[in-house]
This record gives sequence, C-alpha cells and structure tokens, in this order.
Amino acid sequence: MVARALDELGADYRVFNQRHVANADIVLEIEAGEVDGTLRFAGEDFRLQEMSAAYLRLMDDRLLPELEGEPEGSAARRHARATHDTLYRWLEIAPGRVVNRCEPQASNGSKPYQAQLIARYGLLVPETLISDDPDAVLAFRREHGTLIYKSMSGVRSIVHALEETDYARLDHIRWCPVQFQALVPGTDMRVHVVGDDVHATEIVSDRLDYRYAKRQGGSAELRAARLDDGIAQKCIDVTRGLGLEFAGIDLKITADGEVFCFEVNPCPAFSFYEANTGQPIALSVARHLVEGSRGSARRSPSPSRDRPADGECLAAVT
Amino acid sequence: MILVLCEEYDLAATWAAERLRERGLAITVVTGAALAAARWEHRVGRAGARLEFRLAGGERICSGEIGGVLNRLCFLPSAWLQRIGGPDRDYAVQEMLALYLSWLHAMTGPVLNPATPQGLCGNWRHPSVWAVLAGRSGLPTSPYRQTSADDPDLYWQAAGAPGPATAFVAGSRALLPPDLPAPLRAACLRLARQAGTPLLGIDFSPAADGTWRFTGASVMPNLVRGGEKLADDLAEALAA
Repeated sequence: MVARALDELGADYRVFNQRHVANADIVLEIEAGEVDGTLRFAGEDFRLQEMSAAYLRLMDDRLLPELEGEPEGSAARRHARATHDTLYRWLEIAPGRVVNRCEPQASNGSKPYQAQLIARYGLLVPETLISDDPDAVLAFRREHGTLIYKSMSGVRSIVHALEETDYARLDHIRWCPVQFQALVPGTDMRVHVVGDDVHATEIVSDRLDYRYAKRQGGSAELRAARLDDGIAQKCIDVTRGLGLEFAGIDLKITADGEVFCFEVNPCPAFSFYEANTGQPIALSVARHLVEGSRGSARRSPSPSRDRPADGECLAAVT
Repeated sequence: MILVLCEEYDLAATWAAERLRERGLAITVVTGAALAAARWEHRVGRAGARLEFRLAGGERICSGEIGGVLNRLCFLPSAWLQRIGGPDRDYAVQEMLALYLSWLHAMTGPVLNPATPQGLCGNWRHPSVWAVLAGRSGLPTSPYRQTSADDPDLYWQAAGAPGPATAFVAGSRALLPPDLPAPLRAACLRLARQAGTPLLGIDFSPAADGTWRFTGASVMPNLVRGGEKLADDLAEALAA
C-alpha cells in the first residue's frame, strides 16, 4: 500500500525485499561518529549516506520461507542473519527519517511503563493495578468497579472482564503479578499518526475487545471520525515524544468527553483500518517518507548536525 | 532512603553500598533474591505511578519514601527465574520484565541508572551505536566496520571486556584514571548525557600511535575500579 502511494507521488524509491537477501550485501562503516557504507541489492549499489528515508516492515529473518529446511549454521542462514543484523544496526543510527527505528518501538513491550510516558503528554491513562495479591485486587475492584485484565507485556492477549466466577482462581496471581484496569466505558478510537497527519477511526462494537469481535460472534464497525484539535495535537506530541514517526494510538472517549489512551502501537497494522474506511494512511506514510528525503527529516536518535542528502527513500517489505 | 538494587553476588554493588553508608547516606540494599520473594502492588493512573512491595521479612518499601536509587539490576532476579517453569514460562518472563521496567521507571530521586526497554539498569547499546555516540561526543574512536560476511555475535563479545583504562561518569562528575588525558573529561560527560546514562563506565585502549581511543562503554561498570573517588562522586550524585 505504501509502495503504491509512493508511485502516486512519483517518488524515486527502491524496495528491499528481505526474501531476496541471498543476493544482497551490506557494509556499514562508522568513522568519527559519521555513518556510511554500501548496500547492494537487486543489482544496484547504494551509498548508505544517500538513503534519506526508510519504511520498515521486516519479519524475523530466521523465519523467512527461503530458509525453511536450512540447517542451523548453514551458509545461507549465516548470510541472512549477518545481512539483517547489519541492516538493523545501520537503520538504528542512520541520519534521516526511519519509520520506525527499533529502539523507540520497545516502550510497547511494557504497557504500564508506556502509560507513564503517555501521561506526560496530557492524555489520561486507565487506573491500573499490577499485583500478585488477591486482596489488593478485590480492594481495587471495590474502589473502581468493573475491572478488566490483560497482558502488560508485548504478548498479545484478549481483554476480559473480571467476573465473580473468576474470584475462585484469583489465588493463581500469586505465581506472577497480573495487570488489572478499571473498565473505561466509551467509544473506541484508533488514531494513526504519521508525522503531523492524524487519521482517527471510530470503532463501534458489541464486544469488549473489538479486535476479536467476529471471532466471538460479535461485530465491529469502523468509520472515519473527526478528532478534537487538542486531542489530535496530543496524539502528535506523544508519538513524537516516544521517538516514533508513525503510530497507531488506542483511545477511548467517555460520555463525559474524557480521553483515555491505552496504548501507542509503534508498528501499526493500519491496512485493516484503511481498507474499512478509505482513510489515506498509506499516502500519509508515503508523503512522510518523501518529505524526509527533501531534507526536512528528523534527525537520527544520536545527536547529529548532518542534514540528510536528497536521494532515494528505501522501503523495506517482507 | 537510598535503595541499592542488585543481585546478591554483585560485589561491586556491595562495595558501593558500604562506601555510601560511610559517607552518611541511609542505604537499603534489596537483592534479587529478596525481590524474587516480594509481594507487589504497582499502580499507574491519574495520580501518577507508585509502587509498594513487601519483602519476605515483612518490610514494606514504598516509592514515595525513596530518595534515590543505585540500580544494578540488569535483568530479572536469578532467584525468580530459577523457580519458574512450565509451558507459560516465556510468557511469565515477558510479563515480569514489563512489570520491572515500569516500577523501576517509577522510582523517584536520582536513579543511577534509569531502567530502559533495552536494559533494566540502562540501555545496553550495540557497539555500533556507542561508536556513533562516542565519535559525536568528541571522543577519539577507531573506525567501526560491519558487513554481511561477519558473525554478528562477535561484535557483542568484543564489547564484553573492559579496557585497560576506564573513566567513570557519575552524575555531573567524570573520574579519569591518571593515564587518560584530562581533556577527555568533557567528552566523557557529553557521552553519558547523550546516552541518558548518569552512571557510565567508559573504556579506552592505547592505539598504535600511543593515543587513547574509546573502545566501549558499560551501564554496569565495575565500580570498585573507581575507588574512593568514585564513591565520593556516587554519594554526591545520589544525594542531589
């Protein structure tokens, strides 16, 4: 979708398809803090300094279909691993616009940690208790009413309400603390932020976790929505503050107009939302890459006074 | 109260705790073994984040009572990891890591070092990132090169050993061993600031031309090598 949007913009770009890694090579060189080297793929050589923007949708290289059946330590696996590792290292330090670097994505690996970061930008976060003490959980429930529980790490879980039938097994949390949150009633909103572009999608569902509504015999309807300017700006600020160029932000807006933020997804699977609403999220990503290649890119996370050179942007896809 | 968080076998942390007590700081050492047996209540919400954990002996530690932290927990406590198993082990490790990152982040006062998603006692950066940061901080560095023909693991292995000379940054102070030229002090402070690590061990090795070159950095340096002067700097940073 991003590649098609780049075509619409007439952008000069290349697609590094990691499935063709067997025919790719990379050399990364760093001298006195400056980053350079070469990347060879699809029969072309590129200087790393000429790459001014990149969009990443890479999978775990160890699971590439082209490596299926290859024994551990084979030449093909070693080459794939070494090429991907060098590519990752370069992308983490490359000047210019990278959507998104790995390091800032990692805050999503701890939801309560990320919530503390989110709260700095004026968005409310749900009242949360993480505990291995059943009595503390019951006291939290008396304080906040209906609770939900879900994973606090990056491991995906289905959100469940804490029912009375669950109390009998509440003792199990003594083995490992569990995250409980006060249920926030309201309208689900997914906001995709790309640079300064904001695409808000309202989700109407009859299930607690709309992502699994159909699986649970329910429904989820998506529609494009308009977000209050102040909230939109907070979404932009939190995305930027977390070091991200692109994010999928999960909000819930209550009947009183309060806005709670549950999560900032650093690698949003936006196609589901664009396909259901027609919102031009891919076009925003493409524009953001092209703007980066015109020298208005954000700097690499390491302080740098370099301006990215005009040149190609590189899109990496699986 | 200043917390020292460390594994029970971390001799450098034990050394630091003793030195900090000698300098008048109220130190409470909480080891990984103690944390493995603790009971947790960690809250995040409108009132911010707070933590209370109860140790096996009944002692309660609340985040609001903590005035600073010397954080030497690089991962989850070994004692906890050793006692969990079963098909959900990997999930439990991820959940516990998420909790540790969050509660460490909620610590108040000076924290040496703040927890990050890339390491609970600071960001364990790849040598290529240190090479960029060090170069841009003005430290003399050797060229770095990595290619498709190289074994990626070798770069981590080479980064493991400290150099013959180690500078220590603790807060606003940089302590250089006598071998290192004084002008490196400012660059060391810049590196620690850019890296977001107020406690940093910065390693140097002599090059063929006799100059000292940056070879690596550690967010969990051997504090004993810094001696009493480093203990002074730690006390100042934690009491700030």
